[in-house]
Amino acid sequence: MIESAGFDHAQEAFDFVELLDKLSSPDEIMNQMEKSLGRFGFENFILTGLPNPHQKAEQMVLARKWPQGWFEIYIKENYVAVDPVVRLCRNSVNPFDWGEAPFNRDTEPRALEVMNRASDFRMANGFCIPIHGLTGYEACVSLGGVNLDLSPRTKPALHLMGMYAFEHIRQLMTQKNESRFDRLTAREREVLTWTAVGKTSAEVAEIMNLSKRTVDEYSVRAARKLRAQNKTHAVVKALQQRLISP
Amino acid sequence: MTQIHVVTSANRHLYEDTLDSYHRIRHDVFVTERGWRAVARADGRDIDSYDRGDTVYLIAIDGDRVVGGQRLTPTTASHMLGDIFPDLAAVKGVPTGPSVWEASRYFVVRERRSGRTDCMMLAAVQEFGLDEGITHYSAVIETWWLPRLQEAGFVVRPLGLPTLIENQWALAAEVEVRESSRDRARALGGITGSVLVRRGPQIPLIPQVEHAT
Repeated sequence: MIESAGFDHAQEAFDFVELLDKLSSPDEIMNQMEKSLGRFGFENFILTGLPNPHQKAEQMVLARKWPQGWFEIYIKENYVAVDPVVRLCRNSVNPFDWGEAPFNRDTEPRALEVMNRASDFRMANGFCIPIHGLTGYEACVSLGGVNLDLSPRTKPALHLMGMYAFEHIRQLMTQKNESRFDRLTAREREVLTWTAVGKTSAEVAEIMNLSKRTVDEYSVRAARKLRAQNKTHAVVKALQQRLISP
Repeated sequence: MTQIHVVTSANRHLYEDTLDSYHRIRHDVFVTERGWRAVARADGRDIDSYDRGDTVYLIAIDGDRVVGGQRLTPTTASHMLGDIFPDLAAVKGVPTGPSVWEASRYFVVRERRSGRTDCMMLAAVQEFGLDEGITHYSAVIETWWLPRLQEAGFVVRPLGLPTLIENQWALAAEVEVRESSRDRARALGGITGSVLVRRGPQIPLIPQVEHAT
């Protein structure tokens, strides 16, 4: 978008940051990013952790609106290992234009390749905001497009918007994961309730009309969710946390 | 074991040597390491007009070694955001009031920057705020620290856009004092319970606040 006289990038950034508090899902945040960042000309963006050598790049992604074809090529070619933007992101605390990420055209043909191929997917230029956690977590917010309003005036606004978007999505996804892993299902609670009154798993199986193997699976899953050492420990923890009644 | 000591005008006589070493290390960190020439001093101690009688220091001490620190000043008196950096708070203004304190000169010595000492320092500033009835801290923070503070559970409200200061992006911000922030910082650092040490006489920071002790 061509900058109009009335476009106040600082106000845009603050409106965005304040709006984030009212959004309750990563999708809503992505939609808002599309609108707000669109006013700066950005079409695509990704919020992702940076993989260590033992992690897969695609599993680190928190959220993306990224050309699907490009994402697939990027993963298939393992470009994360040679991408100059990723390399600079790990080594910089300041945000930067993709074009500023240095590489040697003669000795790093794969780096040149990744930069050239990105342009084929309407990602001629972009802005990368590195995230460095307190205990070694590395991530980035990367924004791409063709006709960008990316100037010394607008960059501080984009910097702030990117960091707040990342934090809100990270928070929402952490909450989602915790509840998915930690909340007991009705069946798991029922198994623990019968176990708490002294029934063996064979007896519980009969009461609940399930196989003993299924009952054992419920116990194991409940124990894992409660971070308990065994079935008995799981019962104690469930009672303490009032997930089942004595 | 590292602990965070609360040093105020009431107990500073117990910390004379520590404070001298604290100011020397501050000079090492901010002038020698980070190149803040404007605060360089011939005696190798970083001391400025905000190191006053009403200034409170939270100093991380391991054995007898200073390994980190942060400085707190009331916003009802002269403070940096109001005096030097009001432009950084151009959008939202400079927050002031008896329950708003300014945090500045946050540092952890180089060999302790793996994370745990930072978590202790962050848990400490929240715990101290809760103890003393501080509701908010204002601060000029390096922008790359924003996600780090958020990771530690801090609720940070920007007061203006990031600005380049001494070659580093920084922004003015207001941080809420919250139990959840204290607990998250503790959890991230694997810390159980209080990290604050209070030796000698204690004075309430905000006179209007009633104290349990």
